[in-house]
Amino acid sequence: MWWAVVLIAKPHMSLLPSPLLTAQTFVQLVASGELLSHAAYSVCRVLAAWSLAAVVAVPLGFAMGRWQRLERVLDPVVELFRPISPLAWIPLAILWFGIDEGGKIFVIFIGTFFPILLNTIAGAKNIDPVLIRAGRILGCTDDASLFRKVVLPAAMPQVIVGLRISFGTGWAAIIAAELVAARSGLGYLISNGMEVLRSDFVLVGMVTIGVLGVLFDAIFRWVDRCYNWMGE
Amino acid sequence: MIGPKPNLAKPLSLRGLAKRYATADGRTIEALLPVDLEITPGEFLVVVGPSGCGKSTLLNILAGLTSPSAGEAWVGDIRVEGPDIDRGMVFQDYALFPWLDVIGNVEFGLERKRIPRRERRGIAMRYLEMVGLTDFAEKRPRELSGGMKQRVAIARTFATEPSIIFMDEPFGALDALTRRYLQHQLLRIWQQHRKTVVFITHSVVEAIYLADRVVLMTARPGRIKTVLKIELPHPRDPTSDEFRSIERRVYADLDEELVKSFRMEGSDTGSPPTVIY
Repeated sequence: MWWAVVLIAKPHMSLLPSPLLTAQTFVQLVASGELLSHAAYSVCRVLAAWSLAAVVAVPLGFAMGRWQRLERVLDPVVELFRPISPLAWIPLAILWFGIDEGGKIFVIFIGTFFPILLNTIAGAKNIDPVLIRAGRILGCTDDASLFRKVVLPAAMPQVIVGLRISFGTGWAAIIAAELVAARSGLGYLISNGMEVLRSDFVLVGMVTIGVLGVLFDAIFRWVDRCYNWMGE
Repeated sequence: MIGPKPNLAKPLSLRGLAKRYATADGRTIEALLPVDLEITPGEFLVVVGPSGCGKSTLLNILAGLTSPSAGEAWVGDIRVEGPDIDRGMVFQDYALFPWLDVIGNVEFGLERKRIPRRERRGIAMRYLEMVGLTDFAEKRPRELSGGMKQRVAIARTFATEPSIIFMDEPFGALDALTRRYLQHQLLRIWQQHRKTVVFITHSVVEAIYLADRVVLMTARPGRIKTVLKIELPHPRDPTSDEFRSIERRVYADLDEELVKSFRMEGSDTGSPPTVIY
């Protein structure tokens, strides 16, 4: 279809380049190492922020899921912040952390934090109470062993769902953050391409974002299959 | 023999055990009026009663999952204060851990008892053999039928060699044929292992088929109405005259209470309803 549009409408090259030209640009950018370096920047930012979010949100989610009192206190705060798009944090992130890595990592942290937190809470909360009783009867008489042997594995599938979803939102948000303020990354590649009227750069960036997104999701699905006891 | 040292069956005594709950609007509900009962080592005791008679509450207190509001329970010379692996429990809804395979479930309690991995596997296999499920060791619980799941749960409970086993309507969710088969298997296992068993059901026939003694409980508030010794030899025939006459007696006692409780509830009709079995 792309071919057809280019052949029939003959748009200016800066609006829609032909697939052939885009492929050539792709090869060029790969060969020069530029594409790899932009992609690596984006991936590393997401990975860093997402891991940070997981380290905070997973323990907090378990605590909120298992201790009703804590959940009652924190839930209104979570509900207030949750609907705010991570992109709305970009201005504050720039003010607080500058346009360097800190700001972008902060934005992605916000974006990935809530899906992980909410899924972990749900997973920890919805454990069949009879499994808890069975665990206690079968020798998990202290909270630590009950957590390790019953609560953790029972909630695991839902936690992984949260990690997967949040990686997706993080991946979407990093591009937006890089569009606004960055000197590197796939988002920068796109916005720079627009500024210098190189729509082939824009398209290469977009395709790379899509392909990497699918790739990460595949990795998560594979991890999910290893840990998910809920069945096919 | 390698493995856990088999525990001898222990007596269980209930002294003035009672439970009341406070509802949200400040009323108190008497779930269980003070119960005194002595259960001898190796006895198969069945508690039967309508729903809401506090029999599950009683079992949860004995297992240490709920604390009583008055009285105490003793297993041998140890006072029940919390759950202990020496007291096993089989649940109505199986309570198998879905993330573990069948043998992993049976090994769960053995691992908690710090039995080395290799021994654990051997013991677990022996108990799976006891319930005839060695071929299913590597399967996940979701791949099994209800009856098979409950057999795994029974193997898991016996594997830790508890001195007392509580069974909370273990066959309640199964079809009649599976139920009959499992009752038979349970009796066989119990006769081999001679554990003290406290078994809860709302089926009068099941109670008489299994029990050394039947404890009949009544609802609102829950209390013991009758304790009945069943002296028929095993295997018992539910169609025999002796069995039937015991059944009639139990139902007569139950009817009295049912009519009472229906009267309390259904003041709109005025007359007691006909009880149909």
